[in-house]
Parts: sequence; C-alpha cells; structure tokens
Amino acid sequence: MMRMLRAPDQRHVCIMALAALALCGLGLADDAWAQRRQTPPANSIEPRRGRQVPVTPPPAAKAKPDETRPPDVPTETVQADVSTRNVAVTSSFTGTEIVVFGAVDNSRQPGPGSGYYDIVVVIEGTSSRVSVRKKAQMGGIWLNTRTAKFDDVPSYYAIWSTRPLDEIASEATMIGYEIGFDHVRMTPAGGTENVGSSSLLPATDGGEFRKALVRLKTNSGLYVKDDFGVAFIGRSLFRANIVLPANVTVGPFDTRVYLFRNEKLLSQYNVRLNLEREGIERHVHDFAFGWPAIYGMCTVLIAMMAGLAAAYSSGKSLR
Amino acid sequence: MNLYLPIAEMSVSVVLMLGMGASVGFLSGLFGVGGGFLLTPLLIFAGLPTAVAVGTAPAQVVASSVSGALTQWRRGNVDFKLGLILVAGGVVGSFVGVNLVTVLRRTGQFDVFVSLTYVTLLGVVGTLMLIESLRTLKKTKAGGSSSLRRSGQHNWSHGLPLKMRFQRSKLYISALPPLMLGAFVGLLAAIMGVGGGFLIVPAMIYLLHVPTNVVVGTSQFQIIFVTGVTTILNATTSQSVDIVLAILLMIGGVIGAELGAAAGEKLRGEQLRFLLALLVLAVCFRVGWDLISTPPDVFSIQSRDSG
Repeated sequence: MMRMLRAPDQRHVCIMALAALALCGLGLADDAWAQRRQTPPANSIEPRRGRQVPVTPPPAAKAKPDETRPPDVPTETVQADVSTRNVAVTSSFTGTEIVVFGAVDNSRQPGPGSGYYDIVVVIEGTSSRVSVRKKAQMGGIWLNTRTAKFDDVPSYYAIWSTRPLDEIASEATMIGYEIGFDHVRMTPAGGTENVGSSSLLPATDGGEFRKALVRLKTNSGLYVKDDFGVAFIGRSLFRANIVLPANVTVGPFDTRVYLFRNEKLLSQYNVRLNLEREGIERHVHDFAFGWPAIYGMCTVLIAMMAGLAAAYSSGKSLR
Repeated sequence: MNLYLPIAEMSVSVVLMLGMGASVGFLSGLFGVGGGFLLTPLLIFAGLPTAVAVGTAPAQVVASSVSGALTQWRRGNVDFKLGLILVAGGVVGSFVGVNLVTVLRRTGQFDVFVSLTYVTLLGVVGTLMLIESLRTLKKTKAGGSSSLRRSGQHNWSHGLPLKMRFQRSKLYISALPPLMLGAFVGLLAAIMGVGGGFLIVPAMIYLLHVPTNVVVGTSQFQIIFVTGVTTILNATTSQSVDIVLAILLMIGGVIGAELGAAAGEKLRGEQLRFLLALLVLAVCFRVGWDLISTPPDVFSIQSRDSG
C-alpha cells in the first residue's frame, strides 16, 4: 500500500518540477521583454520625465485679467516628480506611500507659509467601466433592481492640495480641469436606463448613482483627498505624501500637478507613475490570464497532491 | 502576516485564511462533506470578491476530497462504479452551470441568485436531515434499529431501464437516477462554488438507499472530479481561480480534515447527521438573513475586470 502511494507521489513531484522549470523560463523571457520595453529610445530626450502642459483656460472659466502682475516679470511654471516611478506589487504588497515633490520656477512668494501660490496634486488610476447597482426590496427580498454604467471611471483618484479646493479656484475652473470628486470624468455608458447624461448634472437619478459611486470608492479608500496635504517647504519647493492602498488596481497612474494663483491656473505639469506586478505575483497573473486551462489544471494538480500528502501522512500515523 | 493575492488583487491575512481552511476542513472531515457550502460564504464574508470566492473554493474541496476518498478507499468504502456514473452526470452539469454563471453575472443578479439557491437547498436538506436524525435518535434511545435500509423496498426508480448491479453498495438499480443526481450536483457546484457533498450524501442515503458507510467515500470520490472540472472551467471562462488563496485554504483544510476525521470516529451516524443538519440550517439562516434584512448600503459597484 505504501509503495502504491509513493509511486504516484514521485510522478507528481516530477510533473511539478517540470511545471516549475517552465514557469522560471517564462519568467526569464518575461523579464528580458520588460527590460527591452523599459530601455528608452535613443533619439528622445528625457524619455521618462514628466512634461509641462500648456495651460489653456477652461471653457467654463472666464479669463480674468491679472492686475497684480507687472508686465516684465517672467511667468511662473511648475515642475514635479514622484519619489517612485515604478512601484512593484509583490506578494508582500500592502499598499505604498509615494512622495510627490516639485518646485515653482520664478517663484515670487516671500516664504513657505505665505499662501501666495496654491498647488493641487491629482493622481488618477487606470479607467474602466463600472456598474453601479441599486438594491430595492421586492417580495421581501433585496434585489439589484437598477443599474447605471459609467465609462472611464478612474480606479483610483487622489486630490492633495494646499487648502480646500473651493478656496483655490471657482467651481467652474475645477470642472474645467476635472479636479475634485464631483468633477471626476465618468461617462455614463451603455443602456441609458436611469442614467443622467453629464457629470455636471444636479442630483438627478444619474447624480444619485454617481454620488454613490464616489461614496463607495471613498469608503474603500480608493478615492482620497487631503485639503492641506501639499506643503511648501521653501519659496518654491513643495511636497505631498500620498498613500496608495493595497486594493488599488495595478497599472499606470497619471499624476497632474497644478499651480494656482488668484483662482487662476498658471501652470500644469504631468508625471506618470506605474504600479507593476513583480516576481511571483506577475508570473501567476500572466499564467492565469495567458494559459487559463493549464493554470486550472495546475491548481487541480496541486490540490490533489495536497490531498494525497494528507492521506499519506495520516495513513502513516495510523500504522 | 499579510499576503497579496494575484487574482483577487487584494491583501489578506494568512492566519485568517489558514484558519478558515482548517475550520472548514475539520467539519468536512467530521461529516464527509466537501465543505464548499461553508467556505464560499466565509470567503465572501472575509471581503473577497464573490467571483473569486466561488471560483477558488472548489480547488480547496479537491484537496480535502482526495484526502478523504483515499482514507475511505483503504477501508473499502468507495463504490467506483456508482461514483463514475455520478461523475459522468456531474461533468455535464458543470458545463451547463459554468455557462449559466457567465450569463447571470452579466445581469447583475448573480449574488442574489447564489444566495437564493443556498437558502432553498440548505433549508430543505437541513430540515429533512434534522427530522430524520431526530427520529432515529429517538428510536435508538427506545432500543429500536437505527438502520436506514429497508430491504425489499421498491419505488418508482425500479421501473427505469439501464439497470446495473452495484456490488459495493449492494444495489441493483437503474443508472439513470444516479446520472441525474450527478448532473444536478455538478450544476450546483459550478453555480455555488460547492462540491455538492451536503446534497449528494443525503440524496444517496434517502433516494438511492446506498448503505451509509459507502456513501461518504463514494461521494468524496465523485466530488474530486466535479470540483476538479469546475476549477478548470472557472479558470478558463472567468479567470476567477486564485491559486495562492487556494493553496492557503488547502494547507489549513487538510490539517483540519485529519482532526475532523479523528473526532468523527467517536460519534454515531445519526448523531453526525443531526449535527450536520444543525450546521446546514445555521448557514441557511445566516445567508437568508442577509437577503431579507435591510442592507447597510443599497448601492454596490462592480468593475468590469473584478467580476
């Protein structure tokens, strides 16, 4: 009996060893590919850096003449970067904290505490379609009765600013630049069942679903804001610590840094931050989505081995 | 200690998952059921996405069933012929079930459907088992026979074609009832993320009149195949099987199963059935309560990729 049990055991070990080898090979090929992808093209200058975004007045905002500015002083611009451009999501990933830091060029503010400029940092995760469902009681049972679908909903959205958004600029400006939970870009999609048409709608049906979405995202720590999260350290230097929780969706993150003065956007700078699965996490995920049938069989094989091992050890202890 | 799950895309406590696997394993070792019907709600309760809970629980059941079936096979308690017929039906049922899951998930009523199926089946099976076991307990106390088997009994199923002899079970019945039973359980396994042991054990005892000692081993034997196929199908159709979570649950599960089997040796058949009935009913009430009580939030969100 013991011999009978041991024989298949060895066979399983062989199969597993082969599978492990195959996985390693897969991983190596993967890494080589990733490295090639990360090598910057030779002709581009500063390929992984952020970029200055030309400021265009939002359609809704009225262009206000700036009386305070003498005509010969150069315009302020903002530059920024993130502490970690590539965050590795491994099996020990429990969220991460990133520092967004930057400087205001040609700063005219007297000191860090003067409140001369306002900085708003917005981090947006990858967008996808999200269904918002509303339950209602039907025949004594709570059922999902109504659904609203939104396209381009950011999986993660953080707003860090030097003071509350409504003090920094007018509602219309914030809508124009899609800053703030109420102005996150979400396009109502699919069947227009009960869904409002635009993000600017008041609290109609669509607004209700939209609000629920933002609330649920906020509850799960994926939509976060800190009204005083950005601090100036000197005349031009500022920084913000932003937390990415463990349940964040893996992918690229758009980081936008806005420089405001007197309710007017002076400069904008964009940086890209990347969350990537690394190590085992990456291989398992690629395996599950790339070769789903083999992945399923491997899971079953492992389960059978676990059962076999348990039966074998208990059998031995009985003897 | 926390571990990040690659498919569920969340961080879970290793100790909690091992503990869940162990406690479910203990009960499955005690009662001879797979334990999926407990594991799936527990995982959902722990905050895992429903799809991942349903997709991964069968993988753990494979492990505990292999272990259980091997132990029973050593004691000569597995009817392979009957088991294979159940498997044949089960594979068909799984295919139908997995496709049904895809359709239901699209309509947004998947969670409610799973809950309703749970409440109905657990309620019926639990109540029937409770009544039967109480009756038997009373009878044994009065000194009567506790045997479920009434020889020479004939019912409608004896008129069906394709009669076969099942030596281990000492039965001569048509192959159709076990085939249909297998298909039905396979369907449920795919929808509910369970092996169906809690259904097939009573069904074999009360409907097919298989001797109780053969029932547990045979059901575990067939559950290996049903849950194995379900796992592979879940992996291919919805990518909802988290191998890391499965391994954690298995480790806890096999340890718990050994302890449960040891504890089970000390109890009589009807006592076990009585306890199992209580457990089944408890889960039934818990799931049912969630359906009828006012939810803390009437809104819920679902991303396309997280199912």
